Amino acid sequence: MSSDFYTTQILPYAAIIIKICRAYTDTQEDFEDYYQEVCLQIWRSKDNFKEQSAWSTWIYRLSLNVCLTFLKKKKNNKQNTPSDLLPDEVLVDSRAFDDESLNQLYGAIRQLSEIDRGVILLYLEEKSYQEIADIIGTNTNNIGVRITRIKERLKKKLSN
Amino acid sequence: MEKSIETIWKEGFIKNDALVAPKLNDLYNQKSIDIVEKFKYMYKINRIAIVAFAILIIPLSYATKMIYMGIPMSLLFIAVSFIAQKLSKQLDIINKNTSSYEYLSTFDTWVKNMVSLNSKLSTFMYPYIFIAIALGFWFIDIEGTLLGDRLINGFVSEFPSTYLVNGFPILLLIPFFLAICILAFFGGKIGKWDINLVYGGILNKLEDLLSDMEELRK
Repeated sequence: MSSDFYTTQILPYAAIIIKICRAYTDTQEDFEDYYQEVCLQIWRSKDNFKEQSAWSTWIYRLSLNVCLTFLKKKKNNKQNTPSDLLPDEVLVDSRAFDDESLNQLYGAIRQLSEIDRGVILLYLEEKSYQEIADIIGTNTNNIGVRITRIKERLKKKLSN
Repeated sequence: MEKSIETIWKEGFIKNDALVAPKLNDLYNQKSIDIVEKFKYMYKINRIAIVAFAILIIPLSYATKMIYMGIPMSLLFIAVSFIAQKLSKQLDIINKNTSSYEYLSTFDTWVKNMVSLNSKLSTFMYPYIFIAIALGFWFIDIEGTLLGDRLINGFVSEFPSTYLVNGFPILLLIPFFLAICILAFFGGKIGKWDINLVYGGILNKLEDLLSDMEELRK
């Protein structure tokens, strides 16, 4: 990946990638792996970008896809590992933001299902229902109801 | 009043240090090492399987009265495992203290040599296996008569006018030698297909990674 491409096409949108990768990882090491893989995939797939959507939407989609794929792989690996040998670190988030409320919110988001995490992240990023539906690959009609349910669940988790 | 999740999200990210991108370093290095290590592991398992097969085929062929197949097959697999062991030693001495690109390029050269050697060996190996299997069946003793003799006797009584070469019906010899020629001709291709079947996934990854890195170097 050329540093030019990274600086001009990825770095301005790094916030998107960081926010998504944080929601799908428990440790700083995993986060860095996911972040690097997303950047690599963006670079590899750059020729497939047809400008039918915004570049940022493309990055959201790729970031979510990479995170979901990585998570699936990780789950498969876990299934092959005896549970008593799992290191404790994977169960605990080793990072923290300065803002405690944000840490709690991320903690709650990480307890959601993989798809719900994607939906709520896109909602919080002020994406329209249509954009969320496009990125997630679902029907627009379901998005509103789904978001309301997710928000209720998050509120419950945060108040606990 | 409690903050909404939207407010928490917005306020939490006001501070820029919450969104510091990690440095993109060591990515290719890590991937290169992963690919080579995974290949080494698979290659080791493959070698162990070849040795195990070379040992097990002797008692198995003895039990099935096909010792004339078992011995040459065992010798072949011992030779193959010996060659694989020599190749593996070359793999172990690839210098890791070079750039990821050089490391992967050296590994790629090793893979190409291995594939080329395997293709050359396969030209002889598959006909050899075919002959060994034919010998195994030929010398199966059924009630005091060899299966091969029974085959010839049956064939000669069915086609009494058939031409014999050293006691073997030419109509049996022709397809036999034809099969050997076909296996020798396609042996290299079968060998490549075999390697692709076992290591295809990882070798494709290697190719992708190398082409990524080559594009980077342009």
